[in-house]
Amino acid sequence: MYKKKQKIAGFIGVIAKILICLIFLFPFLWMISISLQTATESSRAPITFIPASPQWQNFVTAWNMAPFGLYLKNSIIIIFSIVILQSLVMVPAAYAFAKFKFKGRGFLFGLVLVAFMMPVQVTFLPVYYMMGDWRLVNTLIPQILPHMTNAFGIFLLRQYFMQVPDELLEAARLDNASELKILGKIMLPMSKPAISAIALLSFVGHWNDYFWPLMMTRADAVRPLTVGIAALKDAEGNNNWNVIMAGNMFLVMPLVLIYIFASKFIINSFTYSGIK
Amino acid sequence: MASIEFKNVTKQFDKTVVIKDLDLKIEDGSFTVLVGPSGCGKTTLLRMIAGIGPQTSGEVLVGDQDVTDIEPGKRGVAMVFQNYAIYPTMTVRDNIEFGLKNQKIPKEERERRVKEACEKVGMTEYLDRKPGTLSGGQRQRIALARAIVKNPSVFLMDEPLSNLDAKLRVQMRVELIELHKKLKTTFVYVTHDQVEAMSMADTIVLMNQGKIQQMASPSVMYKDPDNLFTARFIGSPAMNVKAFEDGSCFGFRPEAAIMSKEKEDGWFKMQGTIAAREMLGSETLYTIRNEQQDTFVVKSGDDSHGVDETVWIHVPREKIYIFGKDEMRIRQQDDGYETYMGKVGAM
Repeated sequence: MYKKKQKIAGFIGVIAKILICLIFLFPFLWMISISLQTATESSRAPITFIPASPQWQNFVTAWNMAPFGLYLKNSIIIIFSIVILQSLVMVPAAYAFAKFKFKGRGFLFGLVLVAFMMPVQVTFLPVYYMMGDWRLVNTLIPQILPHMTNAFGIFLLRQYFMQVPDELLEAARLDNASELKILGKIMLPMSKPAISAIALLSFVGHWNDYFWPLMMTRADAVRPLTVGIAALKDAEGNNNWNVIMAGNMFLVMPLVLIYIFASKFIINSFTYSGIK
Repeated sequence: MASIEFKNVTKQFDKTVVIKDLDLKIEDGSFTVLVGPSGCGKTTLLRMIAGIGPQTSGEVLVGDQDVTDIEPGKRGVAMVFQNYAIYPTMTVRDNIEFGLKNQKIPKEERERRVKEACEKVGMTEYLDRKPGTLSGGQRQRIALARAIVKNPSVFLMDEPLSNLDAKLRVQMRVELIELHKKLKTTFVYVTHDQVEAMSMADTIVLMNQGKIQQMASPSVMYKDPDNLFTARFIGSPAMNVKAFEDGSCFGFRPEAAIMSKEKEDGWFKMQGTIAAREMLGSETLYTIRNEQQDTFVVKSGDDSHGVDETVWIHVPREKIYIFGKDEMRIRQQDDGYETYMGKVGAM
C-alpha cells in the first residue's frame, strides 16, 4: 500500500515538473515558431503553431532592417565592461566587509543595502542630468558607469566570504602572503560558485536591459540590441511579428549559447565542496 | 632557533582585560606547553607570538628582538591550527609550497625543501592530492609539513591534536616529541588537556584567568604544586581535597591512598563505602564516600573490592599537601604546616 502511494506521488511529481517546464518554455518556443512563419501566418487567428514552411529569410530581412551588427557590438562592449567592472569593485568590497574591522563598516554596509533596495526608476533622472552635465549622454559610458557597482553582488559575496574560516587567512598571513594574494589565491578560488552565479545573473539582467539604454541614448551608433529590436516595431501598428521575433532571436541566442556553455561550469563549481 | 619573552604584556578585547602585566620567558629549543581551562588566555599568548592577535601593550620578543611592529610572515614563526587551516583549493604540494613562493625562494630549493618536509611527516605520496580527499590525521600532517618547510625559529601549535580521534592523538603525540628532537627548535604548544601537557612538555606553563599559576617541568608540576589550582588541574583523576573549617585545606593524590578492609597505620585515616568502581585494566578507580558525604577517589592496583563495600583508606604523612586560605601551598618549612598536619592526623 505504502509503495503504491509512493509511486503515485512520484508520478504526480513528474507531471508537475513537465507542466512547469512547459509554462516556462512556451513563450520561447512560440517566439521561435513565429520567427519562422510568413507575415500572414503570424497575424492569423486561430494561432498557427507549426509554420507551413519555415521562412528562414525572416532573419535576413530583420538583420537588414536595422544596423544589428552595430547593436550587437554595442551590447557586447557594454555587457563585458559591466561584468568586469562589477567584479573589480565587488570582490575587494565584499572582502573588506566580510573580514576587516574598520570604522564606519556598519554604516557603509548599510549604504550598500540601501543601494540594493533602490529601484532604477528613482535614480535614472538624477543620473541622466549628471551625465548631461558631463556631456556623456548618447555615448556608451552612461550605459556602463552607473552599473559599475552591484550592491546585491557585494551583499551575496560578503555572506560567502564570511564562511571562510579566519584561520585560513591567518595561516596565509603567517605564510607571508599579501592581502591581494590572499584574495586571489585563497578567497577567490573558494568562492567560484558564488562569483559565477552573481556574474551570470548580472549578465542576463544587463543584457536584457531596455529602459536604461533607451533613456540614455538617441543615436543608433551607441544603442544596444534591446533598443534596436524595439525599433523594428512599426510606429503605425502594422507590425510584422515574424520579423520582430526573428530580431528577438538575435537577442536571445547569445544568452542561450552562453548558458549552454556556462551551466556546465556553474554546476561543476557548485559540486566543489569542503570549505572547511 | 629563538627564545621568546613577554615583558609586561596586557591584552584587552574591547573593554575586557584578558591578560594583565604578564611576564614570561620561554627558553630557546624547549618544548613548552601552555595549558589551562578554556578562556585562560593561552591561545591569546600564542597569537601574540604569531602576530595575528597583537598585544594591547607591552613587548613580545622573539630571539631577543621586539617583534611588535614586524608582520606575522616575517617573524620566523610557523603555526599549526586546531582545524588545520589547509587551503582547500590547493593541492598538498601547493599548500606546503605557498609560504616559500611568497618568500621568493628559487624553484629547485623549494622542491628540495618540500620533499624533505614531506618525508619528515610521511606524506610524500599525497603531494598531488587535494586536501578534501584526505583524512583528519593526514591534513594535520600537511599542516605540520607546511610549518616545517619554512625552517622557522619557533613552532606554534594551537591544540593541533584535538580534532583527531583518541588513538591517532596518542600516536601523533609521540611523533611530535620525535619531531621536536629532530628539529631542535622552540616549540610552543597550546592545549587544555593536561595529559597532553604532561606527556609532551619539557616545561609546562599552567594558566588560569590570564595569570600564570605555575611554570615548571611536568614532574615538579605533579609532585610539588605551588597552589591548589595547579594541584587540582594536573593529574587525572584530580587530587582529593578536603577543607578545614577556616577555609584552608589539605589534599592527596588518588594513588597515594592505600585501601584495605581493616584499619591500618597511616597519618590520615578514613572509613567509607565504595560508591563507584571503574576498572581501567592495570588499575581500578574507587570512589569512596564517608558518613559526612566527603568523597575521595582512590587509584589502586587491587581490583578485588566491590561497590557498597565498607573500606578504610590511609594516606602517609609525606603524601599530604596543605594549602592556605589563599589557596597557596604551605610547605614543610612554612609557618602553620605542623598545625595543619596535626589537624589532619587527628581526623
